[in-house]
Amino acid sequence: MGRILIVDDTMFMRTLLKNILFSGGHDIVGEAADGAEALAKYRELKPDLVTMDVVMPNVNGIEALKAIKAANPAAKVIMCTAVGQEQMVKLAVKSGARGYIVKPFQAPKVLEEVKNVLSA
Amino acid sequence: MFDEEGYRKLFVEESRENHENIVNHLLALENGEDQQTAIDEIFRSAHTLKGMSASMGFDAMEHLCHSMEDIFSLIRNGQREVTASLTDLLLTCTDAIEGMLDTIEAGGTPSDEQSGSLVQELRAFTEEEAPDEPKAPHDAAPPEPAGEADGHPIYTLTVAVDPSSTMKDIRAMLLLQNLQEIGTILSTNPSQELLEDGKFDGPFEILIESEAGEDALRTVASGTEISLLDLSSSQAPQAVSPVVNEDAQTPEPDLELQIAVPSPQAQRVTKSEKSREIKNIRVDIQRLDRMMNLVEDLVINRGRLELIAKKHGIKEFDEALSMVGRSVSDLQNLMMGIRMMPLERIFNRLPRVVRDVANHDGKEVELTIEGGETELDRSMMDGLSDPLLHIIRNAVNHGIETPEIRAASGKPPKGLLRLTARRDKDNVIIEIEDDGAGIDPEKLRKKAVSKGLMTPEAAASATKDDLVSLLFEPGFSTAETITDISGRGVGLDVVKKTIASLKGTIKVETEVGRGTKFELVLPPTMAIIDVMMVHINGMRCAIPVSNVVEVAQTKADAIHRIGNSEAILLRDQTLPLHRLEDMFGRAEKSDTLVVLQNNGRRCCITVDTVDGQQEVVVKPLSRIAGNCRGISGITIPGDGDVVPVLDVNTMV
Repeated sequence: MGRILIVDDTMFMRTLLKNILFSGGHDIVGEAADGAEALAKYRELKPDLVTMDVVMPNVNGIEALKAIKAANPAAKVIMCTAVGQEQMVKLAVKSGARGYIVKPFQAPKVLEEVKNVLSA
Repeated sequence: MFDEEGYRKLFVEESRENHENIVNHLLALENGEDQQTAIDEIFRSAHTLKGMSASMGFDAMEHLCHSMEDIFSLIRNGQREVTASLTDLLLTCTDAIEGMLDTIEAGGTPSDEQSGSLVQELRAFTEEEAPDEPKAPHDAAPPEPAGEADGHPIYTLTVAVDPSSTMKDIRAMLLLQNLQEIGTILSTNPSQELLEDGKFDGPFEILIESEAGEDALRTVASGTEISLLDLSSSQAPQAVSPVVNEDAQTPEPDLELQIAVPSPQAQRVTKSEKSREIKNIRVDIQRLDRMMNLVEDLVINRGRLELIAKKHGIKEFDEALSMVGRSVSDLQNLMMGIRMMPLERIFNRLPRVVRDVANHDGKEVELTIEGGETELDRSMMDGLSDPLLHIIRNAVNHGIETPEIRAASGKPPKGLLRLTARRDKDNVIIEIEDDGAGIDPEKLRKKAVSKGLMTPEAAASATKDDLVSLLFEPGFSTAETITDISGRGVGLDVVKKTIASLKGTIKVETEVGRGTKFELVLPPTMAIIDVMMVHINGMRCAIPVSNVVEVAQTKADAIHRIGNSEAILLRDQTLPLHRLEDMFGRAEKSDTLVVLQNNGRRCCITVDTVDGQQEVVVKPLSRIAGNCRGISGITIPGDGDVVPVLDVNTMV
């Protein structure tokens, strides 16, 4: 089970994801509401995995992903995305994202992806 | 998917923030402010709303937000212009979203009827001109023989992506990327390009050179939504298309670049907002109320403990208690602070209202808002919203003139509406000031007579202030015709009543041709007030200090009977005198006078003694006790006694 940092600009989504991940036995070590905060929290908490929203104000998920990968090339980041964002997610994957989950989240799929990325 | 109460509340709250963000940036777009920021912000909020509503299973809302997001995606790419008719349509959409949020807040699920034909109308906008689609990727490069195998083992993997996968192209990309980490992909069939574009059905093949071994390959090739159908080692490279070099990829379209580089200004603003948000947590206001009640109980019980300590003369206990007492006071102050919210919360809705009313009436109005950061108790926020809306609507509707009339009277065509809030020592003051036509006292005079509110004689001698105060009388409206925006049968009398129920006052100043100013004075919080403690006929009673003008000693000969009531002559001013016998019984000797005032009107009451001033928590009367004329609530000072708080409003 992993130590996870959740990044999303809405508390609603963070709460939803937190509860799903918690039910899967993971530790939520931190939350961030935008990309800049995500990088700071990543450095501070060194989580095993980050769930990263793509569309966020200020510093978006792709930029944050790149910054995190620059800080730690082995960082495991899963993108949180929605239908219609394929181009962004492709860019994310090229920038080193290890997986993605699609909103609306389905708990089993989220947990499966997290498990797979953690164990990879 | 989820329908838990907690999620619903959070959902509604954050959705409203995003809804507001869309409305305000739509208005900013219309006013020609920073276009790029506004477009990005609207796109982001629509996207966020879409994702959240999908998570809650509110399909109608999701579809609507999705269509809005689509439009802004095009606008962002420069494929559509923001036209006036589009702005109107989008604002109508935000109204629909607001209606849906109301439904959700009330525990319901929004229906497709609430969005009506809006989704179709939005779609018509997205489909209206054939946009210049980016060209499809180049045809796959002709197959080339794979490079040297360098003697490493080569495997052929046959892999399938789960047909239910939402983004099978990205699954394929992720798989290839993960495989690349433990080996070198020599080729794929179909080509990697086609795979990454999702142009494949059914299983595909990957030729990989790797030293990691079969087990490692099996693990990597069996990820989420991926199943490995076959793994075989093959010596000779097959003729399949080559791997596309990652670095040789064409640059991403502008879409990403635009989001990736927000304007420095936007960055500054959102940064401070966001860093504030994450440090805060959201707490249900009802929980705060419960906490507040507990703090009040603590205050009461501290008082009881103090009495016990005094009775038994335990000094040590007394000292400990005073420490506890200090903590309790600090806690109480803290709780009051937590309940405060900036007025922005309700001010933010107003630009939209002004726009709508102004457009409807063919007027030009510039609204300026100052002091939105001024804080007010949360419980008062809701009550204040409607009166404020009403006054703002009135100002545009009846106050500010059409551009033609304004030009004729030498004013700039655009009317000014100023909304300011500030805090003085004890109160929050909100002013709404327009530079419109003002209210003509002569019209009021005629109307007062025709409505039967004044006799012709009284009207003739009435001062301007008397006449203006008529505005707050039920059924009194100066507009010649009732408009469908302001004239909803709710008048300024209701506004005044609502403000009074918040323990506030309202005042209006007007000058014909120059404009009108409404001034609301409100206590920052309703729950804690300064009171003067008095004894009336041996019983304790609290009077809000804000209502007390002065305390004086009387002489019996200063009291005069006028019919059934009494009056007193105090420094050349005649004031009605109330003994409050019906409330407290007849007092033997009450020669101390307290002069009270509310809304500029004064009266006197008699009391036995004045005990001092104190800050207390006022609790409303329970439903069981019902409304009790003359008493606005009760308070329980430290000693545990229950003391009524006088409602001066009903006496003057």
